[in-house]
Amino acid sequence: MITFRTFREGFIKVLPLVFLYFLSLNSFSSITQLIPHFDVFSFNIQIIIIYFYALKFPEYLGFGHVFLIGLLKDVLIGTPLGATAINYLVICLVATYIRNVTLRPKLTSEWFMFIPALFFSNLVYFIIINNFSNLAFYYEELLRITFFTFLFFPIFYPILNSHKKLYKLEE
Amino acid sequence: MAEQRDDFIIALRYALLKKGTQQKFSLFFLIIFSIIIFTLDKLSLSYVQKTRAVLNDLIYQVAIVTSTPEKFTKYVIKLTSDHYSVYRENEKLKEEVEVLRNEKIQNEYLLTENTILKEALQLTGTKVLEQDISIIAKVIIDQESPYLKSFLLNKGTRDGVLKGMTVFSKKYLIGTIIESNYLTSRVLLINDLNSRIPVIIENTSVNAILTGLGKDNNLELQYLPEQFQLSAGKNIYTSGKDGILAAGIPVGVTYVDKKEQVKVRTLADLNQALFVNVTNGQFRN
Repeated sequence: MITFRTFREGFIKVLPLVFLYFLSLNSFSSITQLIPHFDVFSFNIQIIIIYFYALKFPEYLGFGHVFLIGLLKDVLIGTPLGATAINYLVICLVATYIRNVTLRPKLTSEWFMFIPALFFSNLVYFIIINNFSNLAFYYEELLRITFFTFLFFPIFYPILNSHKKLYKLEE
Repeated sequence: MAEQRDDFIIALRYALLKKGTQQKFSLFFLIIFSIIIFTLDKLSLSYVQKTRAVLNDLIYQVAIVTSTPEKFTKYVIKLTSDHYSVYRENEKLKEEVEVLRNEKIQNEYLLTENTILKEALQLTGTKVLEQDISIIAKVIIDQESPYLKSFLLNKGTRDGVLKGMTVFSKKYLIGTIIESNYLTSRVLLINDLNSRIPVIIENTSVNAILTGLGKDNNLELQYLPEQFQLSAGKNIYTSGKDGILAAGIPVGVTYVDKKEQVKVRTLADLNQALFVNVTNGQFRN
């Protein structure tokens, strides 16, 4: 039977997924793009969320959903279908690998391991876009977004961690 | 060394193949599935294209609803900034009106002269192509992406919007249709890196290629003749040399930036375009 409590628990659990779907169906790639003169700080919050949950709490974020979110983003931004999906799945792959080889997880080590995750996902994406599509890159913009995505990870770390605490309280 | 390599391979294989708790698919399966989808999309088979067009329409319709909070936020921010810049804008507009008034007088003279010359050369009565159509469409999503600067329009093949048609905001060229679905279509904007337009510069016979820079409304002129000095305040028109765009469509204008360098910007404000005209010929009011 669905009670308010079970509904709330379920909602808290799917919150990151709902947020990811919402972001993938919006036209902005970063929240800072909405604020005039702040678009220079553009970052990819989707990658932060995917990396965080794949690394820390994979039970909250199904890889099937990550794949679907990537496909939605591809359709909306006009990149070849499946390109962003592979990009996000590579992030998940690196995060899962790091989770498997890390004995004592710490914010600093997880933050610095975000660099290879970003590197490999961008590398795969570059290879796909450069070789299999006619699209050109805004290298400067991409570099900036990647840099700020890396830089803002520790800011989002406690926020995303608090979601886990919230869920644990419910449990 | 060999042990380390084995550990790496085991951890990677585990990450790829192991389905974690509450995971229905392994990463390996999903990556292969993505590659298959990507390959099918790349092959451009007719049934895949049709499926993608339906999928596009569906997702765009959902995106219209989900992007409502974003549109509202943008509207509020714009409203606030407009409110604070009214006085400054009024002063600027007064100056512009004065300049335009002078230009209008000059234009009227040139128009009369042009008509007389056309009559003398028997060039009057240029026929408008009967197949030229103009469709008014609304911008439903203004996509910000590091890969493609594009708009989504609420008109598709059902309304006669086809791939390759030109798009105007007011009477200025802003882009071309690159994807046409049944209900929606995508416009590649002239400020995109992939955009290439053969143009001619006002009061000169200099031809160039106008490309986008992806930054706001800024454009760049490529393949200008050596020693050619670009001056500010020159309008840039399509030359029609590509055989797709009609000649004489206003696209951009030169200006001097803060660093005292002559740059090119679009005549239409691409960030403010809400309703656009899609046509297969020259746009006429």
